[in-house]
Amino acid sequence: MLSAALFLFSDPDGFLSSLLAGGEKAAALSLSLLAVYCVWLGFFKVMEKSGLAGKLANGVYPLAKRLFRSNDKEAVYLAGCNLSANFLGLPGAPTPLGKKAVEKFCAASNHYAADMLFVLNATSLQLLPTTVIALRTAAGSALAADIFLPTLIATLFSTLLGGLLVALTGRRK
Amino acid sequence: MKYVALVIPLLFLALFCYALYRKVKLYDCFTEGVKEAVPLVLSLFPYLAAILMLSELFERSGLSGYLTSALSPVFGALGIPPELSKLVLLKPFSGSGSTALLSEILGTYGADSYIARCACVSYGSSETVFYILAVYFAGVKRKKPLLPVLISLFANFAAIVLGCFLCRFL
Repeated sequence: MLSAALFLFSDPDGFLSSLLAGGEKAAALSLSLLAVYCVWLGFFKVMEKSGLAGKLANGVYPLAKRLFRSNDKEAVYLAGCNLSANFLGLPGAPTPLGKKAVEKFCAASNHYAADMLFVLNATSLQLLPTTVIALRTAAGSALAADIFLPTLIATLFSTLLGGLLVALTGRRK
Repeated sequence: MKYVALVIPLLFLALFCYALYRKVKLYDCFTEGVKEAVPLVLSLFPYLAAILMLSELFERSGLSGYLTSALSPVFGALGIPPELSKLVLLKPFSGSGSTALLSEILGTYGADSYIARCACVSYGSSETVFYILAVYFAGVKRKKPLLPVLISLFANFAAIVLGCFLCRFL
């Protein structure tokens, strides 16, 4: 990334405007994140208070405990919810959950779990690539959803690969 | 694919009904959750700003352009059409940028062409790794999570190669 700065010697005028554009994007993104968080954090609070969250946690716990090598029930539950929201492609829902889970894992200095969650998110399994399908329909595709299968297979592969690599590199330490 | 649109409203409805059944103060509870959103976003903002500024520099300085032309032959050898190399490079940094690029590709080559299909699969099977990095690890005290980032980039790239390959048959 630092090398990017070097290139700007060839175009010094562009430097400040690039930074400003980045800042502008950050401000816009924060606002849209705020909107998304408001909706989903409200949703999850209701879930927590109604006792539904606890029940779900009990169900997911035995499996997710192994995956993340963590005994922190709440963090593991958050991580599990994050993954399922990711899989379903619920827009915006995974982020606040994942963020909270990573914070909890790191607070317990369980970096392995945080890494695992990050990689699983960054290679996220996609059941329905909604954005792509919408874009293709807009571009006049005859069969907009036919990329669904290759995408599913490819993301399944990358998620498995990523998870495996984290598990392997984690064990060596 | 219409039924997918029903998932979220049904989810909310079901939860609210359940909460009422359990005699939860729905409104108070919901607003309590919303309240948490503000500090969360505030804690994220500095990191988001820094990362986005850096990726903007990367894009505008022309470095990404040089990388694109340098890597095209490598991508070609792996079965990724060279027209997609910019998309492949941009995706980890910018979700909106790559979305714009994808619709451009769809317009140029036609939505049902091989290149467009590959582009769709590449887009769908990779994630904005650096954005997720910025959000998840913002404000967390720890050393740089370099290894997971490398693993993610590698796995995403592998998915793109596989996806382009699959597009020839499926």
